Amino acid sequence: MRRLEALEIVDRVFGDHPVVVTLGATSREMASLGQRPSHLYLLDSMGLAPAVGAGLALADQGPIAVVEGDGSLLMGLSVLPTLAYLDPPKLTLIVLDNHQHASAAGMPSQSQRVSIAELCKGAGLKTEVIADAARLEQALERHRDDTAMSVLVVEIEPGNAPDVQLLLEDPVRIAGRFADALAARGEGGGEDSS
Amino acid sequence: MTTAGKRYEALVQGLRDWQLEAFVYVPSSHVAPVIRGLDESGQPGFMANREDEAVGIAGGMVLGGRRAAVVMQDNGFGNALTALTTFAVAYHVGLPIIANTRGGLGEYNSMIHTFGEAVPSLLAAAGIKTERLGAAESPALWRSTACAVAEHAVMTHRPVVLLVDVMHPGSLDG
Repeated sequence: MRRLEALEIVDRVFGDHPVVVTLGATSREMASLGQRPSHLYLLDSMGLAPAVGAGLALADQGPIAVVEGDGSLLMGLSVLPTLAYLDPPKLTLIVLDNHQHASAAGMPSQSQRVSIAELCKGAGLKTEVIADAARLEQALERHRDDTAMSVLVVEIEPGNAPDVQLLLEDPVRIAGRFADALAARGEGGGEDSS
Repeated sequence: MTTAGKRYEALVQGLRDWQLEAFVYVPSSHVAPVIRGLDESGQPGFMANREDEAVGIAGGMVLGGRRAAVVMQDNGFGNALTALTTFAVAYHVGLPIIANTRGGLGEYNSMIHTFGEAVPSLLAAAGIKTERLGAAESPALWRSTACAVAEHAVMTHRPVVLLVDVMHPGSLDG
């Protein structure tokens, strides 16, 4: 499965529910599918997406998806026990694992030798490993509707989608429309939005 | 109650005056009385392992419409600078941060000043607004300043740091 294919599935299953997207090519590819106000693209905060998603979940904004990469998660690995300890509700952490820093010249990540899934399980997080698109869609639908936090480690192909534009939008605009989208959901606009 | 106790309580009361809804903290001995005070007053508290996590979690809460703050020690700004600048500052997250300082008068650790003394200038260089409280300020001023810093963070859509010196001998006695 290519990353863009996995992102299309996340976008379809989570619809207008909040999605926090990690930096680099992952954010660019997600935005290339058509930006949603409910998507928070973190343009440079490597390793921070799971923490931001946890804060949103603890503010009762779930269901929430966090799209993280293997390299980015490894940069902020201490968040795994924090997630297990805080147990934020209705949060699905999706780790797209291509075993490389695809946004950093394709250099290998440590997930070539270290299992992301075992790290997550070791922290006490409910973790599932997915390798094909059909199973990913089913698992996302299941976890989106689950009240507990869970992790999906998704095996994807290395590399980035070609010809995807840079995401040059002002972060202030991204955050503003994201907060507005959350507020609208809180007023009843977010039900059945997937 | 000791003067130090009054100042710790003033920080708790100041955040309560602001109507804090949640706080995220990194455990630290010299800010523990604030964490315990907030906890005992019924404020939901969430523990993080690192200060960048705390900024991310509290920042997510703010984007989700909550009045949230971070409580930490100043040497954790070394962990938090990238999260502060690329997330909280860049995305205009109105986030108050209460941080006890280390390395000044009354310090017992022989090396922590090497970072603590640089914190105000590091934050200034990163464009992060900072206010300071010490032994010269009364507990009443600590309380009103804590509330005002939180209001200012929200009003100006950015993280604002309140550095509090709780180790100065004058903060402990008198």
